[in-house]
Amino acid sequence: MPITENKGLLVFFYVIIALFSAVCLIPFILAVSGSLSTESRIAAEGYSFWPRGFTLETYQFLFGSKAKEIIQAYSVSVIVTVLGTVSAVLVTTAYAYVISVKSFRYRNVLSFFAYFTMLFSGGTLPWFLLSTKYYHLSDTLAGLFVPYLLSVFLMFLMTNYFRSIPHEIVESAQIDGAGHMRIFISIMLPLGRVGLVTISLFYALQFWNDFFLPLMLVSDQGLYTIQFLMYNMMANIQFLASGNAAQIGGIPVAPPLETAKMAMTCLTVLPIAILYPFLQRFFVKGIVVGSVKG
Amino acid sequence: MTKRKSWFCLLLAALMLLSACSSSKNESAAPGSNENSSGESSSGLAPAKLKIVLYGDESSRMKELARTEFYDVIKKEINAEVEFQFLPYTEYGGGKTDLMLSTGEDFATYTDSNYTIKSVAKGLYTDLTPYMDALTDLKKHVDEASFRDFQLGGKQYAIPVGNKANSASFYSVLVRQDLLEEVGMTEITSLEELEKFYDEVHKIHPELVGYPGADARRILLYDYTDMNLYWQNEFIALDESAEDDQIISWFETEEFKDYANLMRGWYEKGIIPKYAATNVPQLQSDWNSGKGMFWSGTASRPFEGAASISKAVPDAKLVNYFLGTGRPKISRGSYNTAFFVSAGAKDPERYMMFFNMLQKNQELYDLFAYGIEGTDYTIDANDRLTRLTTDSLIPDWLLMNNSFMRFDTTVPDDIIESFKTWDEGSILSKGAGFNFDNTSVKNEETKLNGVLTEYMAPIGSGFSDYDTAYPKALERLKAAGIDKYIAEYQKQFSAWYAEQNKDK
Repeated sequence: MPITENKGLLVFFYVIIALFSAVCLIPFILAVSGSLSTESRIAAEGYSFWPRGFTLETYQFLFGSKAKEIIQAYSVSVIVTVLGTVSAVLVTTAYAYVISVKSFRYRNVLSFFAYFTMLFSGGTLPWFLLSTKYYHLSDTLAGLFVPYLLSVFLMFLMTNYFRSIPHEIVESAQIDGAGHMRIFISIMLPLGRVGLVTISLFYALQFWNDFFLPLMLVSDQGLYTIQFLMYNMMANIQFLASGNAAQIGGIPVAPPLETAKMAMTCLTVLPIAILYPFLQRFFVKGIVVGSVKG
Repeated sequence: MTKRKSWFCLLLAALMLLSACSSSKNESAAPGSNENSSGESSSGLAPAKLKIVLYGDESSRMKELARTEFYDVIKKEINAEVEFQFLPYTEYGGGKTDLMLSTGEDFATYTDSNYTIKSVAKGLYTDLTPYMDALTDLKKHVDEASFRDFQLGGKQYAIPVGNKANSASFYSVLVRQDLLEEVGMTEITSLEELEKFYDEVHKIHPELVGYPGADARRILLYDYTDMNLYWQNEFIALDESAEDDQIISWFETEEFKDYANLMRGWYEKGIIPKYAATNVPQLQSDWNSGKGMFWSGTASRPFEGAASISKAVPDAKLVNYFLGTGRPKISRGSYNTAFFVSAGAKDPERYMMFFNMLQKNQELYDLFAYGIEGTDYTIDANDRLTRLTTDSLIPDWLLMNNSFMRFDTTVPDDIIESFKTWDEGSILSKGAGFNFDNTSVKNEETKLNGVLTEYMAPIGSGFSDYDTAYPKALERLKAAGIDKYIAEYQKQFSAWYAEQNKDK
């Protein structure tokens, strides 16, 4: 039976999608509008879609008092994201290639090692011990990305890309005398470009959004990432507002003002929000391609 | 060829793993061996490195001072280099603090009695009893009773810091006096007046929230019981007007019922905002942004709280009122918090010397709490303080001590006066210094906390109706093992109480 276009169904789907995107968008709009409102109006009337008493004061305040920290944290975030993504992609593709080579005898063992960590982990304490006492990653830039260099899920995703590349190409290269390094660099990487872009995006997002590594491994403020700066602020507010604060003696600290919270949120989300629409097609394409095994 | 290479790689990986493990062994042995440097430090202290963990944001001024003046002064006084590490508040009493303790890091930070008990049971705190002599100055300025709260089995595991009026915390209503006067009232002495205050203000300012909180059992005490209740934790209260060792299972009392009904009334009337059940952080933020009419009060809140509210409402004034009279204020001790030293610390005595510095004299107090005179603050002829920077240093609330603390120029005299006389006539709780060992009822405690959040807290805050919700909640409470928990608590408390009153 030929597929006919069902206009009604199409409209229905579009409505659903529109509603869903509205739900996703609303908090963001509220944050942006909140950050551009005056504190007293927010306190008195609450949030709205349009800024109440439009002002840039909050941003002026943030950049006035915390400009140095914010810029510093931004640059750390950018460095970590770039360095992290590049090295993570290198490690991941290398591992994926090794596993995808059919003639390699221990590929199943290696892939089992990786797979095993998806099911079982040692827990936070051993991880923390390993990172601080053995690898000495605390208060180093490396500490902000090295523990995440291999995401097993993305590694298997990449393996699937490599497997989808026709084996004949590899064979002909081998006949021409190419070694594994040559095949990997000149054939596999260029042909697996879509996969590369996809995992790079996943890694970049992960590095950009991560606050766990700085929380665990960093105490030097010079190494704070923008997400951690944000997390720190939010965590302190949440804690002060919860009952636990009473236990340590009724701390009279004034949590940052509402508008400042929102401005901070916007600053953190902004780069991703700007880049995402341009990169989004790779996500979709990448996942679809990865799902077809060669 | 491929085979050989892969074997080589595997070998290399194995070697790396082995070398990592072996080097670590040597390292982890170091803190254990604990060379006792206290011997050599008696005359001419050897240099030492200390790490003090504090929670919250590190201000840029704090960062600067930690490198300069703080560094110099501490170096001069106790020949130690102190590194201040700031963690988010979420890591207090758990999280990274736990990890740091478990991995044997060398540091000190502040704690509370609950966390002390848990950590001492795991052997994570250093027993500080042998080093008590290092606290010569601190002992003079911190109440002796405060030390008892951090003793377990006769050993001192944490050092209390601070000494200020602490009694009847959260038992008073902290009222926005400016609003009270706006509606033509002068003071509040009863629940009726408080509700009238709400009604009147609500007419003029419908946008304001009455009570941005979910717990008013202490404020309302005068209206639902004749006992002078003091809570040991969420489940257990003591009647301070009775001289016995009876503990009270709070959720199983008639008083809880009356209290829940009072709160239900508040909830239905709109005094408590509807979102209080689901959005707790919002409540504090409401109060701080001047959206609330009254709150629970402490001795110091009238001037501490005013600072944050005045950002949104410049002429806000806060005054404490009690909804009844004739019951002595109860105190848990006058300390603010207490510092412990991790079990991995190489030089606990030097940490003690540092704690001593925090409460040693006016000069050091001013430096740690306010910074450098002229740069960070000025003091006028009346000894009032004007801070020139909003950056906080070592948190003010942590150090606050009657012997040293200074008041801001904006604090009215009558508020200072009421703060200074606040503790007059107060009594120390009969449970002060008692620490419950929960090891035998740990499972029950976890389950009870679940029931508390899911069932009892909503009833207590008036979100659920007592009559319909209570029977099921009580059933759950029983199923979670409240009887066993209460029995165990009573057993330990009675034994401790008898021990305390032996000499009397």
